[in-house]
Amino acid sequence: MNPADSDTAAVTRVAERHWHALEDDLVVGRGEASRRPDGRIFLSIDAWHGAVFDHLAEAMLRDLPRPLYTVVDEADLDLTTDWLRAGLTIRRREWEYLVPTGANQTPPGVTVIPVGEAEEKPLKELDRVIRAEVESTVGWQEMPAEVRSALDPSRYAVAAQAGDYVGLVRVIPLRQPRIGLIAVRADLRRRGIARALLAHVLDALHRNGIDTASAEVNEANAAATALFEGFGARRASSNLELVIR
Amino acid sequence: MVKTAGGIEIEGTVVECLRNATFRVELENGHKVLAHISGKIRRNYIKILPYDRVLVELSPYDLSRGRILFRYRS
Repeated sequence: MNPADSDTAAVTRVAERHWHALEDDLVVGRGEASRRPDGRIFLSIDAWHGAVFDHLAEAMLRDLPRPLYTVVDEADLDLTTDWLRAGLTIRRREWEYLVPTGANQTPPGVTVIPVGEAEEKPLKELDRVIRAEVESTVGWQEMPAEVRSALDPSRYAVAAQAGDYVGLVRVIPLRQPRIGLIAVRADLRRRGIARALLAHVLDALHRNGIDTASAEVNEANAAATALFEGFGARRASSNLELVIR
Repeated sequence: MVKTAGGIEIEGTVVECLRNATFRVELENGHKVLAHISGKIRRNYIKILPYDRVLVELSPYDLSRGRILFRYRS
């Protein structure tokens, strides 16, 4: 098959959120749209050739209500160029940090409850408070990755102060574990609680023989950047979020 | 190896993460291909690391290139 033939690929919307590019009864490209819990629609296109990408992007941008978003690995220059050519623009960047494990400092009066040992009811209440604080300030759209609406207590370590849950960190147990979210109640920030939470989980991972965890940090989030870089985290890659309005 | 409407799908193991968001994957038949990740994997922030077992769709235009469709749990 010759890539030059891809100009003739026919694009069909095969389901509400799926598009196929067909050539000689062979699927040579696929497009998919998915809605995140924050309501935004994210697009993805898998195509072997730029012409097929363009056909799929044209159909999806025509069929779907705007704004539309996508995310690309910044190192993937071809894909980034494809989306820019389709009319999307870069909205923000998030860095993936690799964090060495094995440090521990907890401020006085704060206790860290290990991953999976927090009580579900106060953890859910803390999660509700933090979500409301995020929504009323920067908003979830500025957060890296996807907002998880379901809370799984087995993945959280919690900071407690005078019996109250005041901060949380989510750890996703992969071969290279991922720090999914770290947050402290707004009225108790700048006291070292996030640092203590992060130190606790990194120390626990280190004791389990894991050398590195990963975390995504919005480039504009100076506090999170300082927190991770304070633990010796280094930038390993970056993702771009693009949008068309 | 499975032939689908989209081409040939085959399992393999990631042997190297390259700088330009591509991966060198050794297929179960011993061949090595250069593979990108699928949009679904990218959207879901699934990290691909060396030694991961993955499902790869081969390009119908160039059998030395592919796309990682799925990462199996280790």
